[in-house]
Parts: sequence; C-alpha cells; structure tokens
Amino acid sequence: MAHTPQPPDADGGAGTVPGPADPGPPGPDGTRTDEQEPGRAGALGPPSWLALAFLLPALLFLGAYMLYPIGFSVYRSLWDAPGTTFVGIDNYIRMFTNPPTFVALRNNVVWVVVAPIVVTVAGLIFAVLTERIRWATAFKLVVFMPMAVSFLASGVIFRLVYEQDPERGLANAVITTVQDTVAPAGDYPDASPRDGSGVEPADGGGFRLGAEVTPGDEPAMVPLVGIAADDLPGAAEPARAPEAPAGDAVAGTVWLDFTPGGGGTEGAVDPEERGLPGVGVRLVDADGATAATTETADDGTFAFEGVAGGAYTVELDPRDFSEPYAGVTWLGPTVVTPAIIGAYLWVWAGFAMVLIAAGLSAIPRDALEAARVDGATEWQVFRRVTVPLLSPVLMVVFVTLMIYVLKIFDLVFVIAPGSVQADANVLAVEMWRVAFGANDQGLGSALAVFLLVLVVPAMVFQIRRFRRENS
Amino acid sequence: MSDDAATTAPAGAGPDPLAGPDGAEGAPRRSAAARAAARLGSGAVQLLLVLIALFWLVPTLGLFVSSLRAPADNASSGWWTVLARPAELTLENYAGLLDNPTFVGSFWNTVLITVPSTLLIVAIAALAGYAFAWMEFPGRDWLFLGVVGLLVVPIQVALVPIAQLYGGAGIYGSIVGVVLFHVGFGLPFAIFLLRNFFAAIPRDLLEAARMDGGRELTIFRRVILPLGGPAIASLTIFQFLWVWNDLLVALVFADAANQPMTKALQAEMRQFGANIDVISSGAFISMVVPLVVFFAFQRYFVQGVMAGAVK
Amino acid sequence: MTEHAWRLRGGVAVAAAGALLAAGCAPGDGGAPGGGDLQGVQLKVAAKWTGVEQDNFVEVLSAFEEETGATVEYEPTGEDTGAYLGPKIEAGEPPDVALLPQPGLLEEYAAQDALVPLSGDAAAALEENYTDYWSDLGSVDGEPYGILLKAAHKSIVWYRPEAFDAAGVQPPQTWDDMVGTTASTLSDAGETPFAMCGASGWTLTDWFENVYLSQAGPDKYDQLTAHEIPWTDDSVVDALETMAEVWGEGDYMAGGTDGAVQTDFPTCVTQVYGQQDAAMVYEADFVAASAAEAGATVGDTAQAFPFPAVGDAAPVVVGGDIAVAMSENEGTQELLAYLASPEAQTTWAGLGGYLSANSQVQPDAYTDEFTQQLSQTVLDAGEDVRYDMSDQVPSQFGATEGRGMWAVLQDFLRDPGDPEATAQELEDAAQEAY
Repeated sequence: MAHTPQPPDADGGAGTVPGPADPGPPGPDGTRTDEQEPGRAGALGPPSWLALAFLLPALLFLGAYMLYPIGFSVYRSLWDAPGTTFVGIDNYIRMFTNPPTFVALRNNVVWVVVAPIVVTVAGLIFAVLTERIRWATAFKLVVFMPMAVSFLASGVIFRLVYEQDPERGLANAVITTVQDTVAPAGDYPDASPRDGSGVEPADGGGFRLGAEVTPGDEPAMVPLVGIAADDLPGAAEPARAPEAPAGDAVAGTVWLDFTPGGGGTEGAVDPEERGLPGVGVRLVDADGATAATTETADDGTFAFEGVAGGAYTVELDPRDFSEPYAGVTWLGPTVVTPAIIGAYLWVWAGFAMVLIAAGLSAIPRDALEAARVDGATEWQVFRRVTVPLLSPVLMVVFVTLMIYVLKIFDLVFVIAPGSVQADANVLAVEMWRVAFGANDQGLGSALAVFLLVLVVPAMVFQIRRFRRENS
Repeated sequence: MSDDAATTAPAGAGPDPLAGPDGAEGAPRRSAAARAAARLGSGAVQLLLVLIALFWLVPTLGLFVSSLRAPADNASSGWWTVLARPAELTLENYAGLLDNPTFVGSFWNTVLITVPSTLLIVAIAALAGYAFAWMEFPGRDWLFLGVVGLLVVPIQVALVPIAQLYGGAGIYGSIVGVVLFHVGFGLPFAIFLLRNFFAAIPRDLLEAARMDGGRELTIFRRVILPLGGPAIASLTIFQFLWVWNDLLVALVFADAANQPMTKALQAEMRQFGANIDVISSGAFISMVVPLVVFFAFQRYFVQGVMAGAVK
Repeated sequence: MTEHAWRLRGGVAVAAAGALLAAGCAPGDGGAPGGGDLQGVQLKVAAKWTGVEQDNFVEVLSAFEEETGATVEYEPTGEDTGAYLGPKIEAGEPPDVALLPQPGLLEEYAAQDALVPLSGDAAAALEENYTDYWSDLGSVDGEPYGILLKAAHKSIVWYRPEAFDAAGVQPPQTWDDMVGTTASTLSDAGETPFAMCGASGWTLTDWFENVYLSQAGPDKYDQLTAHEIPWTDDSVVDALETMAEVWGEGDYMAGGTDGAVQTDFPTCVTQVYGQQDAAMVYEADFVAASAAEAGATVGDTAQAFPFPAVGDAAPVVVGGDIAVAMSENEGTQELLAYLASPEAQTTWAGLGGYLSANSQVQPDAYTDEFTQQLSQTVLDAGEDVRYDMSDQVPSQFGATEGRGMWAVLQDFLRDPGDPEATAQELEDAAQEAY
C-alpha cells in the first residue's frame, strides 16, 4: 500500500501507484527520500474559494453520508424502537444482556482474535515460500483471485464445500474417503432387531441373541429389520430356516424379517423374506471367549459344526453393521464459526500475501547475508532479521484485517444456514437483523455506534501513521 | 496466464505487485551440499505450493461444475463425479437464468448501480484530491486528516439514518439511492488515494503550467489527469469491483425491482438445497465480470487493494 | 413466512394437485361491490408474490380496473415484507394496499398508526364473508384492519404412496397411529418415515401449532398466542413431549438428527419425492409445487393426508396473507372491498394456486379435487380453524431467523431431551419479545 516499504530497486517514480501514492515515497527506514513539498502552491496558487469549489461535491457527500449519520445514529440510539420515547442508555444495556446480541458479541471476539492472526500468518508463509519459486506470479494470482469476487459468491462456493452429505460436499467427501479407507462401513448399517424377537444390540454396534444356545438346540433365529429391500446385496436369496442341527452343531438364520408390502409373521421366516448374506457370526462361550466364527450364506443360514457342549451366545459382527462415517457437521452450531473463518482465510490470504511480499522484497539482501555469514540458520535469519524488518507491514496487514473482521457481514450471512444463523451471529449481521428485520432502529443504531467505537483505535492508528509519514 | 495478463495491462502502470523478484535466481550462493538440500527443500516447497494452489482453485471449480449440472444430478451426487461422466454437463441452468426476468433484471441493475457509482466517485475524488494536494486553503491539513479518519467508519452507522433520509426524499429502494450511498462511502478512500498520488506529481510541471497562466481546471485536465492515469485506473477498478460485489447496501437500500444480482441470489440462499441450480449458475455469472476485470487489469486492481490497506 | 422463492413455484402449487381441469372459469363478470367511478385513480398494491402467483393476482386486479377505471400497480415486496414496508412507512409513502404475511406485522403497524381501518364496503365485506375468527384476527382493539385474502392450508402430511405400499401401511387417522404404526412399520421396512425441514424454522413452528391445537384445543391456542398463559404451561410441555415421539427418533428422520436440522424447505420435499430417502414430509398445501418439481405427480405419486388428531379433533391450521389499507387515498377501501368479495376470490380460485378463507367461496369454485377437499376442511372446521400462531406473535419471537420459536425449536429438534427446559427457553424468548 501507500505505506508499505518500497523495494529499494523499484522505481519509485511517477509510474508506480503505491510509490507516488506516498507524498515523497519513504524509504525502508521511513524517511522521506525527496524534497518535494506537495501542496505548497506558492504565490501562483489559486484562491481559496476555488479550492472550496473543487472540494464542495466531496464535502457534501461526506457530510451527508458520514458525518450526519454518525450524529444521527448516536442520537437515535438513545430512543426506543419506534423512536417515540427517550430511553437513555437502555439500548446499550440491552445490547449486552440480550442473548442473541451477546452471542454476536462473543463470536465477534472469536473472529477478531483468530481470523487476523490466521490470515496474516498464512500470508507470511505464502509470501516467504513464493520467494523461492519461478511460478510465484501465477501462484499469487490464484490466491489473490478471491479478492476480486463477491463475498456472496465466495459464500456460495463454501456452502458447496461444506455441504453435510459426503456425496455432495467436498470437505466431507475427502474426510469420509480417508476414514472409509481406514475403517470401511458395513453392508447393513441401517439394520435393527425385530422388536420382541429376543435379538438385542451388543457392544460396538453388533447384535446378539438374548437367549443362550447349546449344541443340538433348535436353530438360532436372528430376525433383523430396517433394511430397505433394495439395499440387500444382489446375492441375497429367499431366507430359509436351517434343518435341526446335529448334536454337536449350532445353526441358525440371519434374515430381513420384513415382507415387502407388509403382512407376514413377525419373527418367522416368511416366503418373500430374504436372508442377509455375508454377516459374520460368532459363537461366544460362557467365559466371553470366541469359540468359533463363520459367515452367513446367501439364504442367511449359518452353521457351526463340532462344537463342544455348553451354553453359547450367538453374536453378529459389529463390522457388518457399522454406519458409514458421516463427516463433520461443518455448518452445525459448534464449528460453524471456524468453518466460516476458513472461508475468510480463502478470501483474504491473497491480500496479506501480496502486501507482505512487497515488504519482503524491500528487505535489504545485505542484512540477510550478513546474518548468514555470522552462521545463523535460515530459521534464525527469518526470526531475528526478516520478521522484525517486516513488522511495520505485518502491523498494517493485521490492523486492516481486524477492521474488516469487525465489520464482517456477507460471509456469515450467506454461509450459515437458517438453523445456525443464531450460533454464527456477528455484530454487523445482528445490526442489520435488529434494525431492518425486527424494525428496532433504536437498538440497531446502538449496535452501529458500538461498531464505530470498536474501530476508533484503528482510526487513531491510521491518522497517526499518516501524520508520521507526512511530518 | 498471469504473464499474459501482465502484458495486456497498459504500459506505464509500474511494476506488477504480484510479480516479485525471481527468487530462484536471487537466492544467495551456497555450498554444493547446501544447494542440494535447498533443491530438495525447494521440491517440497513446490509440492506444498501446488497443494495450496489447488486448495484455492478447486472450490471455485466446484461452483463452476455444479452450475453445469442438472438440479437432479446436483441433488444426488457431488460435482466431482462428472470426471467419470462428463456427458451429464448441461447449459440448462444458464438457459433457465436467461429466461428468468428477475435474474436478468438484477444483472442490469448491477450494471446500472456500478457504472454511475464508479464514475461519480472517481470524478468527485479527483477534484477533491487535486484540491487537497495542490491548492492552498485554511484548515486543509486538518480537513484531510478528517478524511483519513473517515476511512474506517463502518457502513452500519449510516444504514438507519440514510434509510430515513431516503424515505423523506422519496428515493428509498431506488437505484439512485444505492448509487449515492456507494459514492458517499467510497469517497474517503478515493480521495485519500488520489490526493497522495497527485501530491507526488513533480511540482515543476505544475508551476510551469501555472506560470503559463493556465487556469486551475485546465491544469487539472491537462496535467493532473494524464499523469494520474495509473492511480485513477486503480481506483476505478477497485471501486467498480467493490460496488459490483456489494451485498449489504443493496440489501438495505434496493427494493425488489431494483435489486442487484447479489441481493437476488441471497434471497435464493434460503432454499439452498433446492435452488442450487439457480444459485450456482447465478453466482458464477456474477463472478464472470469481476474475474475478467481482475485478470485483464490485475496490477491496477492489486495496487488499488494494497492502497486500501487499513480502510 | 419464507416459503415462497423468487422463481415461484408456489403459483402452480395447489392447481397442480389432482387432475388439472382446464381452468375455464370465466373471470368474474358479476358486478363486484365497491363500485363508484374511479377513473384516473392510481393505486399501489404490494405483496410478496412473484411469477405465476403474481400473474394470477394481477388478473384478479384487472377485473377491478375494468370495472372502476382505476389503475392498480402491483409491486413485489421481495421475501421480507417487513423490511420492505418498514422504511416506506417511515418515509410516509407506503403502498395503498399491502399484503402482510403475518398478523403480527398488522398489529405492529396498527400500533404505529401506519394502517387505515377498514370502512364502508370493505368493513362490510369482511363482516359478511368471513367468520368471526377471521374478523378478529384482522382487528386490533376492536377496529377492523385486515382481510385474510389468500390462505395456505398447513395441516397436511404429504407422503409417497409407493413407500407406504412397500411397507404395507395406510395413512393414519391419529397421531398415535402415525408414530406407533405407520412410522415404525416404515422404519422396519427400511424406509425412513419422515423428511424434516429443520433448517427452515417456520416448518418447526408449524409442527408445534398442529400438535398444540389438536392436543390443547383452540382456546388454549388463543391464550398462548396472546401470551395470556406462559410457555411454561403444562400444555406446552405436553405438546413438546408429543413432538419428541418423532423428533427424538433419529432413525425416523432422513439424515438422522443432524440431517433433519440442516435440511431446508423444500429440500425436505425433494428428499421424499426426488431422492426417495423418506416416506412423509409435513408441510402445507404449497408442497405440491415442490413435489411436482421433484418429479412427482401430485395426486398420484405424491399424496397427502390431513394432519392426524393428537387430541379429540384433527387440527386445521391456516396461514396466509392479510390485506390492509396503508393510505387514505381514494379507491383504497373500494379495492379492499372488491378483494374481499366472493366474486373476486372465486375468480382467483378458478385461476389456481389459491385457497380462500371466505365462507362464501364454495368448494366447487376450485378446479381440482384436492383444493376442493382442503377448502371443505376449512369450512367444516368453522370457528375451530386457527391461524398460524408463529405469524401472530411478535415477529421477533415467531418469524425471525435465529430467534425465538425458530431457534428454540431448532435446538429442540437437535436435542429433544428436556421439554421443560425448552418450554422455559420459549418463555424467556417470549418475555423478551412481547
């Protein structure tokens, strides 16, 4: 910007915008480098009234759109919603006690603390890294591009990215793909036990037969429901109850106990019901140790042969019933603010990067070389030389981001779905909602004034910096 | 691509702020071992930067591809599945938008709001910037400091008062109201930028012109405006995009008949899942103009944004 | 009330239902009341309708123009009527007639003296054509201001017959049947019973209103609406507990609890009729348009049953737009009188996408069987019909994103574990708003 240190070798002549934007472009040390006295028009200068004529349109606009509104907002904030009753500082008290406004305030604090730092750090990293590559310009162009499009469009882009359904949202698609590679989902995630059948949920998401079985008993029947007939594997065949097992055998059937179109007897294998193939079945003995394992056949039957006497529990392998990982609820109430800050980073990192890169290129190579000659590592050079020399630029970036973050509106308004608007609320959104949704222009004005007060330090920073550079 | 963009920019705009010094060559000489390590490190850095660049590109690509898919496809699968089935891409969404009078109207409203605002801001700020830079009058420095202070005033402060003012003036909801609001809030930055630039114009040129008996308006036209070209270009582009992309001002001051694209699209967001076809194609159309402007005049735009630091 | 989107949809809504007979009804050629020569008079009417809904309304208006010689200009307000009108009122240049989506707004504006009471023929038309409940609804302190012009029937559960057939279930008569038999059998059959539209807060308030009206009765409904009984009343807790029978079952809702809260309207309709991820979706008559857009044929692959009775009687909750006068300009009252007339509304009914609350508009005015049935339920319920509660309470409490009922019920959908705490939160929010 106007006040970024200029590269010493960059021609500070009339060509550059940032250069001449400085009245006498300051060198890296902040001192004026030319003796021009801007504005000293001298004896030939025009009369004051002409200056006023040149300024008049601007002054009218500034008066009408900035000075008058500031005054009016302060005044209006002391009146009630319709503007008929003077309420003093009531609106300001409400601002801090009204829960939705308070949430907005709290979120704004999170934003102001987190976002500028994250973006500045990202900008610094990008700026430093791109110093070393040939395609730096292309990279910067790509990262800077979001600055050109509207926050609305960026918001739409990130609504798509953060879509909950892993089938449609990119972020969750990536996360669940990774997760599913590590722990794949089962074939029957929706299954649940048929009520009253004696099948009960077991630890880890599997199922078990409540009643124990001993070898030679009647077949162990495991009716499950909740699976859509269309979701059964193609191999599934009509279910069948196994023959009565031999004396040293345990047999049974795992099947979908639901006749398409209704009807059928609950807990019994009906003609149109199909077995669940490929379900892992475990025989667990009285000590809790697994005695044998097998898998169901295409008709849902399973059998263990040569089982020693005793009581066993039949358990179904939880892995066959595990739900697919649904991903992160990005736009749920808990992480919506971090998620939107992610989008904010995407938009603003280019800004930070470009300003910091301009600052970097202005650092004298000699200083870096000297440090290296003294045996400093690259990290030390970065920490001890680069960052201190960059600090004025970092400060400008940081303060600029902070001002914009305080006023953040579009991204929050656009990205947060209706049901989490309350959780993602920030002051600027709240101000709009209160003043133009609930038509409470008293509280709305108070919020606007509060926002103004919050940026006053930045105003002071700005004016002091300007005076320092112009004195 | 970036090189093309750089060369299409008119000459005389100064160094491209995106194009830093070529670091690969600028790297200091090191020992062979250090160079090898550096090359290896550089490989890792390149890979990292490629990943970061993808992180920046892919979401936008996602929007674009989504806008080319039928609503039913978007409802049932992710946009990336087109990699396997490119045949399902369609221009239907765009055709639908062009048939949608609300959207087409909002596009023209955006133009009708953006162009006059930008021109007015530049014209008024150029006059004021010149006065602040080269004309003598009492209280000038204090007045200018005031302008600097106004740079950071949040727009929210003006919403309620101006809404009431407009109500009284009968321009609430109209395009005129939106335009004037943008001018009002764009001016501090515009004056700041142009004043600083004009102040750096060599004094001799001005003195000479005044010596020749040039009137102020003539000097302004013949000397200041031509020399200030690059700054004016930066400002124009910056303001153009700023106004084009605005949502908040439109939300408050533009009624349904005069709403720009941003507001029209925002209304659709309430039914995001169901309107994704309109939203994605509409958002993309709203991005096209800014992207073209950005790539064509990127150095001016970047310089404008940089000058906007601490706004 | 945000159910209408820009490229509306809502228009064809009800008309799409059932067999779409050619809308051959001739526009009302019968003499509408109001009369008088209004040659050269210019009137402005503002409503949120766009697309087909706007076209139909303009056609209804044109009969008035022809008859009186007045010119009526229609202005779409956009989604947020309050945000559109507020500044116009402040500026002193409101439209002559506005269609308010909420009686809550009506009260606010009446309190601000922004409305002109109905008089003459308009007041008479309200008196003659509407039941006392509707007259009271449009009145503030006994002064009549508004006429419910266009109703939305909000006591309908939409379902996918194919899913019901696969599970072998029938549309339920009572809430207990719906939860105990219909939903559980669907769930056993592997069909998710409900799609929820939790991201659109107003759909959740509609759930509550139906359950509450049926369970606690119309009197309590009115008391709660007026905040004469607190939200911590046992009847509220009971209603919440009843709702939790569905809302508490993650398996009963498409996408589970998380999905239910994140799905907006009409995406939930798409889940039923497009993706076929669920069997039922509760919302109003205007679901028809979204169902048709999702590829279903209304009356065939998309059908509906009345919201089942939780208590003694099945609820009939109606929402809709209320016409008010905002200026004293000549012709304003005449226009309202015309709009309130059975003639105008019968014309409108013939155009489709319309449901009247006018007792004089007969079911046969509608061109399709489905709307005829809806109209019949409204007429049958008579004085027990209730207007959407969330639209009657202060908008900050009942109709604001992220606020009041919307936000609290969304939290309740997320975790319906503690109805009493939820009732307390509702009461707190109500205290703040009333």
